[in-house]
Amino acid sequence: MSHSLTPRSVATREAPIVRWTLTLLALLFLVVFLVLPLVLVFVQALEKGVSAYWAALLEPDAYSAIKLTLLAAAISVPANLVFGIAASWAIAKFQFCGKNVLLTLIDVPFSVSPVISGLIYVLLFGLQGWLGPWLYEHDIQIVFAVPGIVLATIFVTFPFVARELIPLMEQQGTEEEEAAILLGASGIKTFLRVTIPNIKWGLLYGVILCNARAMGEFGAVSVVSGHVRGQTNTIPLHVEILYNEYNFVAAFAVASLLAFLALITLALKSLVEWNALRVQRNQEEIEREGIES
Amino acid sequence: MSISVKNITKSFGSFIALHDVSLEIQSGGLMALLGPSGSGKTTLLRIIAGLDVPTAGSIEIDGDDISKRSARDRNVGFVFQHYALFRHMTVFENVAFGLRVRPRSTRPSKSEISDRVMSLLKLVQLDHMAHRYPTQLSGGQRQRVALSRALAVEPKVLLLDEPFGALDAKVRKELRRWLRRLHDELHVTSVFVTHDQEEALEVADEIVVMSHGRIEQVGTPENVYHHPATPFVYQFLGDVNLFHVRYEDGNVVVSGSADIPENGYDKEGKIPLGYVRPHGIDIDRAPLGPGAIPAQILHINAAGPIVKVELKGQDDGIFHVSLTQDRFRELNLLRNDSVYVRPRDVRVFEPEYMI
Repeated sequence: MSHSLTPRSVATREAPIVRWTLTLLALLFLVVFLVLPLVLVFVQALEKGVSAYWAALLEPDAYSAIKLTLLAAAISVPANLVFGIAASWAIAKFQFCGKNVLLTLIDVPFSVSPVISGLIYVLLFGLQGWLGPWLYEHDIQIVFAVPGIVLATIFVTFPFVARELIPLMEQQGTEEEEAAILLGASGIKTFLRVTIPNIKWGLLYGVILCNARAMGEFGAVSVVSGHVRGQTNTIPLHVEILYNEYNFVAAFAVASLLAFLALITLALKSLVEWNALRVQRNQEEIEREGIES
Repeated sequence: MSISVKNITKSFGSFIALHDVSLEIQSGGLMALLGPSGSGKTTLLRIIAGLDVPTAGSIEIDGDDISKRSARDRNVGFVFQHYALFRHMTVFENVAFGLRVRPRSTRPSKSEISDRVMSLLKLVQLDHMAHRYPTQLSGGQRQRVALSRALAVEPKVLLLDEPFGALDAKVRKELRRWLRRLHDELHVTSVFVTHDQEEALEVADEIVVMSHGRIEQVGTPENVYHHPATPFVYQFLGDVNLFHVRYEDGNVVVSGSADIPENGYDKEGKIPLGYVRPHGIDIDRAPLGPGAIPAQILHINAAGPIVKVELKGQDDGIFHVSLTQDRFRELNLLRNDSVYVRPRDVRVFEPEYMI
């Protein structure tokens, strides 16, 4: 439908030279800061040929880094999915004391530097930390081991799902839930049949972003990991080590994995956004026609 | 099923939305809760439904105290102003929802659900729309779906919160007549909230006029319109002209226009005011009797069955007068003409009866 394209008002249009200059500047910026680095990653990775590229990826330490990254994401994304839905459900649909405190807490991982958040875990669970001696006595290792990496990842990716869902749920209000309850639905049935279907696109979007961050996190994980090769290195940490050893081809080969992931995430995100927008447009259009008829 | 509202008080922090409200709703009746926004009418409806918890008081349905029961177990049908249809479900699924979420032991079979839903959709004349989504319907159609969804669970009482508030004027009129007919067919005890006095007067068997969290008057539409109990009811149910009045030999004599005061009496709360509807005033070319007030015609609106004339008195007070087309032609009124207005049906509320 043509009316989905809003015509630009003549009054707000600038002279051609201004428009072209601004457009060119923006494009130049985009190429230098985003496109070139991305291309360079792949160029460097393939500098010594495809076989060297594959060798770098299949090397045991790289393989274990990939496995660990996937594990951290596989635990932190579902954990944050559950937490995000619970928090946004509580915040958007109910009034309670301390709501603003909870909202602020959810934002803490965004506002605190990841290195600091990693450090907090070291101070808490490390040998010299508060819980360290007790954990040592019971032979539980958190810092410089897989649990620490998972915890740090969960912390850093904490806000993604909740932040995505809260505005959506607030905008949708509570009337549909009220209607469901009045029709005799239990709390859980109302949640599963009314609330969840209404937020599914926002939820998917939040999960995609959460996953991207979980796999790409460097700072917090770097502090708690201890950099034990083949044991506590994630992909980003492994890249750093290879780079520091001047092993550029291997470093960029592994880095290209993350770049791939970023591209796939972006594509998925656009797809979800496009689809959500399409559904909304469709509905608005039909709505308009319905009212006109 | 009758509903008894007993001494309900509801406060939100320091704001008191309902002050000790008691009300009897007759079985099978169609009752309107009428009032301006902030009068507590929606709060009362939500308390009956169990969506809000009263600060004090109780609700009984057929003598059963349901105050402690959750909204889920009260078996009331509720229709929201903005429909609140499940947006991801078709019309059919929306109506079937209340039956499908029942525990297995009381859930009807698939074919029974389908039969019931389709017969309800036929009742609201939307059976051909069963597979559409709510967004594919007009506002009036959506509200009819919402109504059949509420009726699907065979509620004891039906509660409607400004059911026509979001619709445009023409659809609203159609739909409220349709609701009246539907109610006459089904006889389910119904309460609807509205701020539109015309709607309440046309549809309801009984009207409850509310203001500032209190009930001002309960009565039939005829009763509340012709015998308003308080100045508020008088003003809320139609247009009003206000006059200063004085008593001469036991008769009310109008002495001039007055401003509309907040509580229905004049600002000092002492001198009584006369309330006159626009059709309770005559316009004459000559002063007839002691109550005639000289005035000048400001504006005439002759479109429609009634001619509406706006006049200005000598003290700058504005009068609104409705005349029949016949009387208007007989007087041959023109703008800026100097005439006399003569209130006939003056209603005086004595300050002694102030609440």
